[in-house]
Amino acid sequence: MTQLDDLRRAIRESDPALSRFDPLPRIICLDDFDRGMCGWTQLVGNYEDTLDAMLPGYAQHSHAMLSTLPNWDFGSHGGVDGSYALKIATRPKKGAQNVAIKRLTFRKAGPIRLEAYFTFKPEATELALSETDIRSFGFLYDLQIGDTSGPGDRVMPHLRFLNAQDGQHIQKWQFKRKTTPIKPIGTAGKTITHYHLAPDDWEDLPGGEQRLCYNEIPTKVNWHYLRFDFDLAAMQATRFQVNDRVFAMDGYDCIRIPAMKNLWCMLNLAFFAETDTDKRAFAYLDSVCLSGDF
Amino acid sequence: MLPENLTAIVARNESWTAESATEPYEAGWAKEAIVFVRALKAPTGPLPKARIEISADGLHWCAEGSEFDLPAARDAVTFQRVSHFGNFLRVAASLPDGVEITVLVTLHLKA
Repeated sequence: MTQLDDLRRAIRESDPALSRFDPLPRIICLDDFDRGMCGWTQLVGNYEDTLDAMLPGYAQHSHAMLSTLPNWDFGSHGGVDGSYALKIATRPKKGAQNVAIKRLTFRKAGPIRLEAYFTFKPEATELALSETDIRSFGFLYDLQIGDTSGPGDRVMPHLRFLNAQDGQHIQKWQFKRKTTPIKPIGTAGKTITHYHLAPDDWEDLPGGEQRLCYNEIPTKVNWHYLRFDFDLAAMQATRFQVNDRVFAMDGYDCIRIPAMKNLWCMLNLAFFAETDTDKRAFAYLDSVCLSGDF
Repeated sequence: MLPENLTAIVARNESWTAESATEPYEAGWAKEAIVFVRALKAPTGPLPKARIEISADGLHWCAEGSEFDLPAARDAVTFQRVSHFGNFLRVAASLPDGVEITVLVTLHLKA
């Protein structure tokens, strides 16, 4: 640790908004949803000429919202601090997904760190615990090398917490190395599409079983911490932590597809929710800190 | 700081028949909203009015009282101003048999 590191740490630890994170030296963004949407938007699918060309996986997506986590039985839950969190809500149909995304580019292909406080819950349509109603909560990066740093790939690290499937309470972290076949869109030869959140091809993260605090009725939530370290130079994950657990990443890999002509230095980050019943799944974030070593 | 201002697409290329509505949208931070509805394809049949609905919990809905025309031709747009709506907001319509409209629904919200 240098003197600068010590000074930086002291300043950050005296700031309540930052002291609950362990960011790398440069903070790229600290998104506290009490300041609005902070650049988190809807993941719309690709199309040309007609919206009918959009893959159904994307067509189902809708806009995230600023939520106070309101409940019919006790009212607003609120965020980790402040009133608002970002809410990602699926439609009430088994297998439905929704995604919130933030689109950036990077200025140095080096280490980056994603930290967030998250929670998830099904819509409380029943007076029942409903702990197996949410299929998954997860996050991803969509990355591509710089235009002069190739050869290289478009790389999409994915991780999801498979909470439940077909009524079984599974509770384990999974990753993905495959997306759907790449499909051309329209006739101009400029746009393609693929659905990287398709339900197939998820693989278990070795040692990735984790029992998260769910609480005791369908409306109470507890917030969880996650941290995902990734090296943009090697395009490899280096560390993954959720609450008190740090997971070995030796067996982890990403979706890797050929680099695309319009995506150089892309740094997109996204969170998603998926329901396992005909009930809306809600994922919440408060807040998200992305940092880098540059 | 400037007041929050959000354009949210809450239904995109959705075909509405029978009882249809946008997904529940939380906008408790906003004092006012304009709901825009655009027809993406030529509607079929005589269109009913759309209505604004509000909810305490996103589960149980009440008609807010505002009603407005649905757009009668492809790319036509209609809108409704709403204020003092609490938190949960949606647009709903009851379409008779044989009536269909494909909609793009935009909420423009301001604190």
